[in-house]
Amino acid sequence: MKNLKQTIFYYLKVYEKFVSTSISVGVSFRTSFTLLLLMDLFFYFSTLLSVNFIYDHIQMIGPWDKNHLLFFISFMLGIDHLHMTLVSESFWELSHSIRTGDLDFALIKPANSVFSVFFRYFRPSTIINIFVVWTFIIYYGIQVKLEPLSWVLLPFLMFLGFFLFVVIEFNIAASMFWLKEGLGINFLRMQLQQLARWPNFIYASIARKFLTVCLPILLVGSGPIHFLYDYGKWPLILSMVAASIVFLFILKFVWRSALRHYNSASS
Amino acid sequence: MKKTVIYSQKLEKKFTSYKKEPGLLGSLKSLFVRNYITKKAVKDFNLDIKQGEIIGLLGPNGAGKTTLMKMFTGIVVPSEGTLKILGYTPSERDRLFRKKIALVMGQKSQLWWDIPAMDSFLLLQRFYEIEESQFQKRIKTMSELLDVDDLLHIHVRKLSLGERMKMELMASLIHSPEIIFLDEPTIGLDLISQENIRNFIKEYHQKNKCTIIVTSHYMADVQALCERLVLIFDGEKTFDGPLSKFETILGKEKNVTFNFSSPQDPTLDLWSSFEAQWDSHKIQVDLRIPEDKLRSVALNIIKDFPVTEFNTEKMPIERVMKTLMKNPQIVKQLNGNNGPHELNGRN
Repeated sequence: MKNLKQTIFYYLKVYEKFVSTSISVGVSFRTSFTLLLLMDLFFYFSTLLSVNFIYDHIQMIGPWDKNHLLFFISFMLGIDHLHMTLVSESFWELSHSIRTGDLDFALIKPANSVFSVFFRYFRPSTIINIFVVWTFIIYYGIQVKLEPLSWVLLPFLMFLGFFLFVVIEFNIAASMFWLKEGLGINFLRMQLQQLARWPNFIYASIARKFLTVCLPILLVGSGPIHFLYDYGKWPLILSMVAASIVFLFILKFVWRSALRHYNSASS
Repeated sequence: MKKTVIYSQKLEKKFTSYKKEPGLLGSLKSLFVRNYITKKAVKDFNLDIKQGEIIGLLGPNGAGKTTLMKMFTGIVVPSEGTLKILGYTPSERDRLFRKKIALVMGQKSQLWWDIPAMDSFLLLQRFYEIEESQFQKRIKTMSELLDVDDLLHIHVRKLSLGERMKMELMASLIHSPEIIFLDEPTIGLDLISQENIRNFIKEYHQKNKCTIIVTSHYMADVQALCERLVLIFDGEKTFDGPLSKFETILGKEKNVTFNFSSPQDPTLDLWSSFEAQWDSHKIQVDLRIPEDKLRSVALNIIKDFPVTEFNTEKMPIERVMKTLMKNPQIVKQLNGNNGPHELNGRN
């Protein structure tokens, strides 16, 4: 227990420096910093307005009305916000550092290499938008009349959804060690993100089953929201926990194998 | 008896790549059919390095030096053989092992380009769990030694190559590693910066008694820092012994330079006997003269030609290397003639 506490404390202290160095870098390019901030806002508003527009012409999509779906979309924007802030940049850096050999230095640091590789780049411009994202979540949460317990559970479920999604992505990204070029893999990740941004009931039966059981990205958003609307759907949350553990376990082997395959670029 | 800190037995590393035919057609072809080739970058490599030694690892480009360094640090996993560093198997990537080693690569940077070096050092302080007082002390000592105390808060991208390399060294040594791997630490630097870096490494080694492995293209690095030299050609160890022994590989010949007051005729028979190398004005010549003939030949030249200056030196290590690179069989022949224990005593 003492060891676990020490380990958590160690990683938090290192992460604090990841954040502060990323902020130092981020704010030194002011135009880029502002543009990224604005582009994120543009993405959030355009996503919500698209759904709003669809509901100008129809009453329901599946079992959900406009507010139900907008709350779902806001929840997914919350996960996307976490993703963009905490890990997104690292995925793009990974293939570059594999090809150039810059990864070498990350691998000799005395910390878990998954942590050093995927949490190294924090995006400070995105974190500012947290207020905007949570304003949407709270607004549409009130519209769908979330119960008090749901409000308490909401941040934890969002974290669980984020965790499940990034663990799946870590497994996919590990393939860059074999493929070297990561553009295709990164576009695959982005497509999976797109699929997860819509509720599970819009997909046909086979696709839904595949994306819930084999590659459970539909659990990321649909699992928590279905549960928040109806506590009887708690098995979905249990499935998310189980899927997270399974993919974490797979990652352990995939990552070890990826590191063994890493040849580093010639100098 | 000092303990062994680096031990390798029959170490081997294979890399697979494919040959691509040039041009668009070659590119399209490679999309469907690839001609894979496997190359052994390191072959049957045995090494035994004791605590506190400072070793030079020499060899031409592509000889396998960097691959060895990467295997030693656990970045690359060996294909075959045994490798133990400080009792650890590097490829297992034990956290304690990684805390005890450091790697400096002259052609790659571990510092963040867009922030001052000090910010990167602070991050490393967290990684290596260095106490604040120790951290401050080490920063002060090293920055004074390297004369960079006023550069610590400048963005790394604004530093010169030499200044950046000094910062790289600081970053790698901040946790007081037991073994330091320096992969071409002076590459691309001007002569003064090279010397500064060498002096720092030398002083650091004397103070800290750590083990250092240096690879370099500059013989001056090896001559200034190392007593023991390991030569690697095409992935194989071809020489392992004292630097002094390496310098005598090509025989007991002296390099003598004569300067003349007027241009001389380079076609004379005399010059051809001693592998003469003339300057463009024909007023300076470098000769290789066997030690036993040095006195008589030098006297004759001074007597018969308008010599203004002359000096002798041992066979420069650069020339030894050049000759060996052209004729790697020389070392093999010598190993064969003298027996592996004389030249290859640590094999």
